[in-house]
Amino acid sequence: MTLNSMIETDFPEEFVEEMGKSQNVLPKRIDANPKNVEKGLAKLVLTLIELIRKLLEKQAMRRVEAGSLSDEQIENVGETLMKLESKMEELKQIFGLKDEELNLNLGPLGDLM
Amino acid sequence: MKLYTYGIIDSSSQINKPIYGLEGAGVYNIPYCDIGAVVSEFTEPRQSKTESSVLAHEEVIERLMEHFTVLPVRFHTIFNGRDGVISMMQSYYKDFRNNIDRLRNKVEFGIKVIWPSGKIKEHIINTCDKKVSIPDDSSNKRFIREKFEKYRIDEEFEKKANKYINVMDIFFSKYAAEKKLKKLKTENLLLDAVYLVEKDKQNDFRQAFEHIKSGRPDFKYLFSGPWPSYNFVILSKKNDLLKDSEQKDLFNKVIQLQDLVGADKI
Repeated sequence: MTLNSMIETDFPEEFVEEMGKSQNVLPKRIDANPKNVEKGLAKLVLTLIELIRKLLEKQAMRRVEAGSLSDEQIENVGETLMKLESKMEELKQIFGLKDEELNLNLGPLGDLM
Repeated sequence: MKLYTYGIIDSSSQINKPIYGLEGAGVYNIPYCDIGAVVSEFTEPRQSKTESSVLAHEEVIERLMEHFTVLPVRFHTIFNGRDGVISMMQSYYKDFRNNIDRLRNKVEFGIKVIWPSGKIKEHIINTCDKKVSIPDDSSNKRFIREKFEKYRIDEEFEKKANKYINVMDIFFSKYAAEKKLKKLKTENLLLDAVYLVEKDKQNDFRQAFEHIKSGRPDFKYLFSGPWPSYNFVILSKKNDLLKDSEQKDLFNKVIQLQDLVGADKI
């Protein structure tokens, strides 16, 4: 049996593209060396901050959905989340990081985000 | 002498039929107790990780599958001589034995499904009625409103993904002994799954796939297999199987880090 006969699809290019996308963003290991160690650490720290930011945002959305926030609270939460997002953008630019790079592969547990 | 390793088999006897592996080298079995490691001699060429070497590796495993229960070893696993192989077998014998017993007469199938994520999202936007009234009198509130719109679309998108995956999984699980499912690896890649199926249920499993495929012809499907159980080998001991090149690589990185932080030891 050849590999071709073991893989059946009418859309090989599309599957190659999607699999490529899913693998490119998550390196199996962090390539730490003197030249990129600063960026590597920034990536790790920003990933964790991004995780917390997303959790905060999700929690806020749940409260909006439940209708449990007053007008004033919505105003405050909006300001906080907007500032957090803009600060994250600034930091990502400083360290040359893209959105899709802010993730961690947790092995059998899957991806952090 | 370097030995390129293809897989662990449930036999300590020599392989009767000639099989040729990487660089056309003859493949043979190194026995340990009642199992064996299938290897060939290897001189590392400049370009060793090529498409043809991947195919050669896979072909050897497929040939072995015809006669044995095989635990496939990761591509490009190389040991320093027979002693290196025996020492690895000694360390992992119990794990190998357990896996061989668990995976006997079973094969792996892969299923990937792409769904029209753009259309699905569009449909959600047009039909979702979970409106929340957030006043529009400041930029902060507008920000929350936009975020909330996105949030409810994402939530609905994920719910739909779960619904489709559950339906498919019900059909496949009827014929599977074990499974590993990954949902939405990308927005388009709805499902990336591997199922472990008993050999005598292969046809039923394939029929279940055809049934699913005909039920949603607007989705795109990839069906692969039968493969050896690449994704179902479970090792209780991990991480001490570093290859020579990985050991050197790791050592160099530690030295570089020590230089960087001025530490004597890490």
